Amino acid sequence: MAHIPNLDNAAINLTSLREQSQRELITILRNIRGKKCLVIDPKLGGSISLIVPTSILKENGAELRYLSSDPLQTECNKVVFLVRNRLDLMKHISSNIQDDIQKGLQREYFVYFVPRRSVACEKILDEEKVHHLLTIGEFPLYMVPLDEDILSFELDDAYKEYLVEGDSSLLWHIAKAIHKLESSFGVIPNVRAKGKGSLRVADILNRMQAEEPVSTPHAGIPEIQTLILLDREVDMVTPMLSQLTYEGLLDEILHVNNGAVELNASIMGVQQEGKKVKVPLNSSDKLFKEIRDLNFEVVVQVLRQKATSMKQDYSDITKSQTVSELKDFVKKLNTLPEITRHINLAQHLSEFTSKPSFLGQLDMEHTIVESESYDLCFEYIEEMIHKQEPFLGVLRLLVLFSVTNLGLPKRQFDYLRREILHSYGFEHVVTMTNLERAGLFRKQELKSNWLTIKRAMRLVVEDNNTANPSDISYVFSGYAPLSVRLIQQAIRSGWRPVEDILRLLPGSHSDTKRGGFSCGISSESLFGGSTNADKLVDGRRSLVLVVFIGGVTFAEISALRFLCAQEGMAYDIIIATTKVVSGDTLLDTFVEKLS
Amino acid sequence: MAATNAVAVAAEWLPLGNRYYRKPTLYTMKWKHIDLSRNKLACAPFGGPIAIIRDDSKIVQLYAESALRKLRIFNSAGVQVSESVWRNPGGRLVGFSWADDQTLICIVQDGTIYRYDQRAEIVGPGASLGRECFESSVVECVFWGNGVVCVNERLELFCVTDFERLGRDEGAVVKLPDVGLDEMPHCVAVIEPRFTESESVVVLLGVGDGLVVIEDGEVHRVGEGIGPVQKMVVSRDGKMLAAFTHDGRLLILSTQDFSRIIFEHECESALPPEQLAWCGMDTVLLYWDEVLLMVGPLGEPINYYYDEPIFLISECDGVRILSNTSMEFLQRVPDSTEVIFRIGSTEPPALLIDALDHFDKRSAKADENLRELRRRKALPEAIEACVDAAGYEFDISRQRTLLRAASYGQAFCSNVPRDRFQEMCKTLRILNAVRSPDVGIPLSIQQYKVLTAPVLISRLINANHHLLALRLSEYLGLNQELVVMHWACSKITASLAIPDPALLDILLEKLKLSKSISYAAVAEHADKSGRRKLAAMLIEHEPRSSKQVPLLLSIGEEDIALTKAIESGDTDLVYMVLFHIWHKRPYLEFLGTLHARPLAQDLLIAYAQCYKHDFLKQIFTTTGQSEEVAFVLWKESWELSKNPMASKGAPLHTPRLKLVEDARKLFAESKEHNFESKAAEEHAKLLRFQHELEVKTKQAIFVDSSISDTIRTCIVIGNHKDALRVKTEFKVSEKRWYWLKVFALATIGDWNGLEKFSKEKRPPIGYKPFVEACIEHDEKNEALKYIPKLSNPREKAEAYARIGMANEAAEAASQAKDSELLGRLRMSFSQNAAASSIFDALRDKLGVS
Repeated sequence: MAHIPNLDNAAINLTSLREQSQRELITILRNIRGKKCLVIDPKLGGSISLIVPTSILKENGAELRYLSSDPLQTECNKVVFLVRNRLDLMKHISSNIQDDIQKGLQREYFVYFVPRRSVACEKILDEEKVHHLLTIGEFPLYMVPLDEDILSFELDDAYKEYLVEGDSSLLWHIAKAIHKLESSFGVIPNVRAKGKGSLRVADILNRMQAEEPVSTPHAGIPEIQTLILLDREVDMVTPMLSQLTYEGLLDEILHVNNGAVELNASIMGVQQEGKKVKVPLNSSDKLFKEIRDLNFEVVVQVLRQKATSMKQDYSDITKSQTVSELKDFVKKLNTLPEITRHINLAQHLSEFTSKPSFLGQLDMEHTIVESESYDLCFEYIEEMIHKQEPFLGVLRLLVLFSVTNLGLPKRQFDYLRREILHSYGFEHVVTMTNLERAGLFRKQELKSNWLTIKRAMRLVVEDNNTANPSDISYVFSGYAPLSVRLIQQAIRSGWRPVEDILRLLPGSHSDTKRGGFSCGISSESLFGGSTNADKLVDGRRSLVLVVFIGGVTFAEISALRFLCAQEGMAYDIIIATTKVVSGDTLLDTFVEKLS
Repeated sequence: MAATNAVAVAAEWLPLGNRYYRKPTLYTMKWKHIDLSRNKLACAPFGGPIAIIRDDSKIVQLYAESALRKLRIFNSAGVQVSESVWRNPGGRLVGFSWADDQTLICIVQDGTIYRYDQRAEIVGPGASLGRECFESSVVECVFWGNGVVCVNERLELFCVTDFERLGRDEGAVVKLPDVGLDEMPHCVAVIEPRFTESESVVVLLGVGDGLVVIEDGEVHRVGEGIGPVQKMVVSRDGKMLAAFTHDGRLLILSTQDFSRIIFEHECESALPPEQLAWCGMDTVLLYWDEVLLMVGPLGEPINYYYDEPIFLISECDGVRILSNTSMEFLQRVPDSTEVIFRIGSTEPPALLIDALDHFDKRSAKADENLRELRRRKALPEAIEACVDAAGYEFDISRQRTLLRAASYGQAFCSNVPRDRFQEMCKTLRILNAVRSPDVGIPLSIQQYKVLTAPVLISRLINANHHLLALRLSEYLGLNQELVVMHWACSKITASLAIPDPALLDILLEKLKLSKSISYAAVAEHADKSGRRKLAAMLIEHEPRSSKQVPLLLSIGEEDIALTKAIESGDTDLVYMVLFHIWHKRPYLEFLGTLHARPLAQDLLIAYAQCYKHDFLKQIFTTTGQSEEVAFVLWKESWELSKNPMASKGAPLHTPRLKLVEDARKLFAESKEHNFESKAAEEHAKLLRFQHELEVKTKQAIFVDSSISDTIRTCIVIGNHKDALRVKTEFKVSEKRWYWLKVFALATIGDWNGLEKFSKEKRPPIGYKPFVEACIEHDEKNEALKYIPKLSNPREKAEAYARIGMANEAAEAASQAKDSELLGRLRMSFSQNAAASSIFDALRDKLGVS
């Protein structure tokens, strides 16, 4: 399937990055002669499908299975497990193997860890007495390009594990991924970080550079000039809000997964009961590229316009005589499937957006962001709980409410927690603890400074023209994502002008310059100030790598793309993230699941 | 002058057939009082070291020396490198030879193999050829690069194909198949595995009047009738065999087909020569006392006379001749050299040399020569020949003359590649440096090319010429790390007397030279040399945590290892340390180590959470985090519910309840967890309640649903009494109660019940739940019963709008005086022109007022 996005227009050579991963995977398969059963960790399946078409895996003798605790069904006597180095997956591997042993099957087993071997995983395999049966290897896949400007580390639960359990493995992973990028594109001279995790990543990155210096083959001119690291904890407000861009809404309602949505065939106008279709969503689809970042209201208009002009053309064609006119028309007809596809999707989305509950939710989000009426917000959330509305939706507002207020007074905090346990079950005592530890829903200890932040960063923009926007606030119809505002600052002038505001946000910040060899020490003279460094001598646009630790939403991505497209902006942005998230998927990692 | 010069050069040559041979002197030996005839010698090829030990098979007179034998090692110039007293048991030294990695392999009678390095120190594990050789002495051994074939008294043959494997690997010594000999073979030779088809060694034995070939476990007799072979030697490429027969004939045989005699020469002596060696590929040297005979395929053999004993060392491009006083190199005169220096040569390079000579003498004849060369368009060829010939010279002034000639020619010729000249200068510099007597490696250019620069460097390192090796690496742009590393390790070994801090400084100064140096590897060596403290100091300087941490663990610095692992941010390293110390330390001490290190503790907990639940509780109990234990117990209570066996039995005694109760008690231990403790209490109560309900209703629909769900379920199944009981029991607020009951009634479509409920008393949260429930179930008429009762006009307007009653919606909205609301409602009625106009009108009104 053509789900693998086209990366030809990327600002750095992401194609070579992807091809390298592709080669590595194919080499692994080729080195294991003959037919083999490739057992993939289900969470990896998506990443792999963005790198190698399944057909190529099959060509190399691989029969595909997904890893589970169920016995492995295959005729092959070579079994290759391709798994993330997560502890919980090891039991599946050992149970698969032990099942074979019981059945008296003799097979050759290989375990390839993504992205690298892990002592703890191997310890479990050892204790399960299967380690000696395995040939162990690594598939160093640290990131996957999702699109021309998006790289994902595909770390689903790692941010929650970091915030709640203190397992900081993801920070090393992120630093390693950036270090890998640097080995292809040169050492990034400017590093600006905000938030605890970001600073640690910058620190580990410097260590890696000291340990294994990147030798710059590009005669000292790095392809990426600035690295901005942003810990999601700095801005938990934005992901809690309902995204209003086309792609954002698609994610909120249909859940975009690895650059595609899966939905009922009937929605796409195919009359087949119960059948699911997968619709790829990336820049290879020209129309999607045009409308993905627009506010959904505008998308509807654009699609209507396109349809109307098509209709006009169709009526004109009966009168037209020349072959060239016919040709033009036929060319336009080729875009018809795309238009139909997006009209179908938009139609489906507007069924949701026109619901009073959706509008009410938006209304409430704005009220909370504006910090307008505390009691009203409280009662609204309370009512949602009483009505047992979908749990994640409730949590989103709750977290938004708690974060903007720096927590809730103890009485109300306990009250809402109790109402949640009563309504959704006592198992969520763990969910509540997780959210509390992550600082997402907690007791109020300090007075909120949200109003100051909101005002200083101009987060709420009253007059906004969604059709012809002049500011990033269009992505939430009037709210400018705090994260993107910070990045805007960091690119333009560094942290210094907003230091006062930064201090009000979680975690500290840093701004360092790194040379090819010495690092960590700020040496202004080397690049003569940040503003000059951003502009390259040869007129090329300078490149900024923005890394979100803890996830980024499509709405924020759209806002960043909007920034790049502004006149007078001399930079391109590449976004790297632990995962593309929505409020639902982000909070879902914190929810206790009784499997 | 040039002519005489050339004459002087060519005068040293002797012709053999159509080729000339020369034997320039490489060194006058620096050693004193060495008499080769009294000693056994092992000389390594490629200008390697010379090992000498007094021959204990000969009766020799002792001068002013100890009766103990000494193994002495010299470089090729006769400078002593090292010596040690030979005290090894096991009988006479049967044979010794330098292996490819320049360790000296010594085999004694009882089959023991001793290995020495160039410092005359024993290295590697002890090894033996085995029981058979121990019982019956080894009498003969023939070495090649990295292996040996031995014959013992019982006429059994043994073979070692790789000295590296000795002492490590059972199969290092292989017994060759029995040949059925009844006497010692006249002579033994081997063809190296790399030259044989079977890729295993081929052993040749001179037996009877022919040869026995042992190859790949099979024995053949070949070449019957060529006459008893007294001595033989295989050519360097393994293709030919030179054999000396009992009647004084030298035979050259093909090793592919031993019956084919390629060449035969009758010698004057029927006595076998003491030494037999190939010189290059086409001539064979035979040495008897005082006479060295060189036999080639064409022409009369050359006789060289020596009045002292000599030793022949075969090289790939000639033979080095070692005597008590000198070392010579016998080689065929290279083509380019011959063309230049042959007497009367008028070839282009000879003309060029001549031109330079005239130029030096400021003679106009120089120009004449150059014109001639240009006329013949032969300048490039002449330059090339001079450069090439320079490479073959050992004499520096002659190298210089040839290179100057080339350089002189280049001035008149633009189209010769300059890098060839530069490359040659570079190579000669290197060769001259290593040929200097102190270093004593007399490599020819061809040998250098075969050996390669990296190998040369590693040989220099092994001979302790670190500085030269370093300079060479730098000069050639090769990795200096290797040299520095080896130096550091040798330094540590050799500096037992230097205290740790001082030695550290000395080492660091040099280690700094290379950026990517592995401090860990040097530290490892220090640790192995018994200097653990020095090792610890060195590891400090290792920037790569992935190297540093394991090493710290191996030297027992576990706490530092843990700290470093945490600093690195690499959680995998932290795990490595954790697992290392986990079972090494007493449990409490182990946890104590982690106490101040949250990352380590969190990782251990993450591991235990996934894999060792009991251990997890133990950790939390020890660290006094009873609330964490409570959470674990509580979570286990749900895991139990997955187990169908657990939910059976008396409700109060189910293990689930016990777990929840235990959790509650633990939470209750601290005030901070009041909330959790209450929640656990309620949970336990709910479980009991639900169990009771399930028993009563005989339906398993309650357990593990929430309190709200339990209420709903009760109402849905018509059990209002129990619903109310749950409400009171769990102090469910009126607000929530109304929502739950209204929605539950709507679910089962009990609209009468709903109306009755609405009239029970004035609903505490108004009629909104009733309206919503009806609208959601599309019961327009039911909804209309409650909409008018809504107190908030805004809600009223929206409710009317949702059931499509535009006029009523508009009316309510105008009461609310909310233009935004009007706008929104107008949107929802946009299909309905009449309704839209009503909203527009109302909005205008509001806008005006």
